[in-house]
Amino acid sequence: MLPGVVLENEASRGIFALAESVVASDEKQPRPSVREVLIMSEDTKGPTEPLMGSSTLWKDLRVLLPGTEEELKLGLSEKVDRSMTMLLKQAVGLFYAGHWQECLQASEAILDYSWEKLNTGPWQDVDKEWRRVYSFGCLLKALCLCQTPQKATAVAEALRVCDMGLLMGAAILGDILLKVVTVLQSHLLPGKQLACGPHQDQPAPKKARCDSNSAPSVVVERAVPRLHCPTLQYFRKHFLVPGRPVILEGVADHWPCMKKWSLQYIQEIAGCRTVPVEVGSRYTDEDWSQALMTINEFIHKYILSEAKDVGYLAQHQLFDQIPELKQDISIPDYCCLGDGEEEEITINAWFGPQGTISPLHHDPQQNFLVQVLGRKYIRLYSPQESEAVYPHETHLLHNTSQVDVENPDLDKFPKFAEAPFLSCILSPGETLFIPAKYWHYVRALDLSFSVSFWWS
Amino acid sequence: MAKKQHGTWFGFGFCGFGQVLGSGNGCHSVHSPEPLCASDDICRVSASWSYTALVTCEYPGGSCTELQAWTPGSALQGEPLWVQNLVTGTEDQGENEPSSEARAGTLPLLPCASAYVTPQPPFCQPLAPELRVRQLELGAEHVLLLCEAGQVFSWGGGRHGQLGHGTLEAELEPRLLEALQGLRMAEVAAGGWHSVCVSETGDIYIWGWNESGQLALPIKSSAEDKMAVRREATELNEDSLKGEEAAMADVGAPALFIAIQPFPALLDLPTGSDAVKASCGSRHTAVVTRTGELYTWGWGKYGQLGHKDSSSLDRPCRVEYFSEKQLEVRAVTCGPWNTYVYATEREKV
Repeated sequence: MLPGVVLENEASRGIFALAESVVASDEKQPRPSVREVLIMSEDTKGPTEPLMGSSTLWKDLRVLLPGTEEELKLGLSEKVDRSMTMLLKQAVGLFYAGHWQECLQASEAILDYSWEKLNTGPWQDVDKEWRRVYSFGCLLKALCLCQTPQKATAVAEALRVCDMGLLMGAAILGDILLKVVTVLQSHLLPGKQLACGPHQDQPAPKKARCDSNSAPSVVVERAVPRLHCPTLQYFRKHFLVPGRPVILEGVADHWPCMKKWSLQYIQEIAGCRTVPVEVGSRYTDEDWSQALMTINEFIHKYILSEAKDVGYLAQHQLFDQIPELKQDISIPDYCCLGDGEEEEITINAWFGPQGTISPLHHDPQQNFLVQVLGRKYIRLYSPQESEAVYPHETHLLHNTSQVDVENPDLDKFPKFAEAPFLSCILSPGETLFIPAKYWHYVRALDLSFSVSFWWS
Repeated sequence: MAKKQHGTWFGFGFCGFGQVLGSGNGCHSVHSPEPLCASDDICRVSASWSYTALVTCEYPGGSCTELQAWTPGSALQGEPLWVQNLVTGTEDQGENEPSSEARAGTLPLLPCASAYVTPQPPFCQPLAPELRVRQLELGAEHVLLLCEAGQVFSWGGGRHGQLGHGTLEAELEPRLLEALQGLRMAEVAAGGWHSVCVSETGDIYIWGWNESGQLALPIKSSAEDKMAVRREATELNEDSLKGEEAAMADVGAPALFIAIQPFPALLDLPTGSDAVKASCGSRHTAVVTRTGELYTWGWGKYGQLGHKDSSSLDRPCRVEYFSEKQLEVRAVTCGPWNTYVYATEREKV
């Protein structure tokens, strides 16, 4: 996957940097003069009044919060600057007093300052408290946005803000952002299906381009072995402990996702949700970048149309963001052979068109890769072959090979030609076990959706 | 002997905590320069996110300098949070400038340049004496150092190219900016994730993160103005595109943009003026020219660029307020989201 935890999160942060400036520029609200602010706050109705023209939206949102200001516990530690705690308390006070514009202004400052904290130092070192602050900012901003009755896009904007809080923040007030999202989604348009759902006359995904994307042949001697529902002990003894890849059949093939998931279903459930997308053939390319867009936008731009670039919804913890989808998957039983708790297992979604490529790399944890839609060509090199795959020398990309697996430069990387490997074509319903530190290269042969489980 | 001119301090940008900035009328931010409504013998200003510290000097020949810190929300009314009298040295005050003790021993440098202070533990870090540090500036995760010989060193986190060594790798120890070797720098300035230095001949070099245009390099433009491709910037920065994992340039799109510039790029001001001073906020940059003009660029959401609005800019623009009022800008110092400027009236010819 993306070079370990380091670049993945750097890269993720990169997007969010872009996203924040996009969000800021989208904000067309003029800065009110002092007098306007005062007038607005006098006129503004209290929070218990229903929003004009949007019958229950405000009521449904308001009920998610504690009734009074005193009951809302920020619960932030001393690590958060006192000035920020003060500003947050002020913002909460403004909210409960019904001063929406001022609260919105304060939320912006909360978001901007905590965003800077989130961008300071490596992601794994960012204090969770700052991510909570960021989430509080998103919560207040989203709620205040819903107070602008004339804006048709207010709810969509609020939803986007909540998604930013889910992507970059940390849980607050009992996962309140997820609850707000549920309310907002149901209010996007009278019929919720239409808002998030697919457009009519949706063209079929683009057909396979036979020449550039032909399925490579898998030589039987180098094929990843396949087993049907081995026992835990057998799997542990023969594959987990010695670190050998294997394809497990019959383990995930009856998960609901196998029958339920389709482009249409995904758009219905989550079309209006904002997700991070990688743009560019592979993350080692110079013109690779990341962007934030809704799932609908992603599907239309990179799956249904003849996009110039490759877009890949990759390595994203989609199921934390969209719990309804989590109900369609399970955790492979074999994960219990690990040391960690179930909550510590990282579940990532990998959703993209035919042709997405993950360059040869390794990850620090054990991995179960479950294929749901489409097929993937995967090649695997043992950690013992690390020399022959020529890892990058920089710290940032030390877990990524310099070699283009399906088009290697053998003058530059001579040892690669003779390095032994295993390969397979992973089809829907199958689960590939990739041992920790095992080099792997992945190319999607069709429109593809995979789910990976990282465990220790 | 030239007549001593009393200048005025101005401020613009974020003042959401009521920190001293212009009229302090309870506004959240100020978009155009306003004179500070404090006593007019301020010789130094230093701003953090939520408050601003002022150093006042008593003229003439005053021997007492006072450091004041104001609490959020006080709007400089009532009493300062605390006051500290500083032992003054014997420095002559520059006649047209605020205290010129700005050179040696300015925070975060301690006197004798033996160590420097940081807001995070361990709070005080020693400096090798052979470095002969003249000036030291702190970014969010990096440190910039200017030595007596005019050479620039950097260390700390480098993920946004702010160290200027051409990579995204961190450096544990001060490392010389080889790209600037041979050029004598007069001043360095550190933003949150970007770095600026001004040479003795008035050239500006800039590197690091460009997410809001704080490097005056093109940023990813919105759909409406994709046509505005910045030719000058492109030519200036051909080198930056060659870095592998370093620069991230979107070549396929109609407009070129640069997110990270990992080693110094020369920046020309629109009129070709020489720069004499520079200061950075967390995501914006301000430069004073030899002819007393102020240019700002970068993140502008809180009016910290002083162009009467809240837009960000990815090219240097002159702050017209000072030209319009016939004011000569002498010094600039930025807080994270605001900008303070010291200016004097221009001599009538």
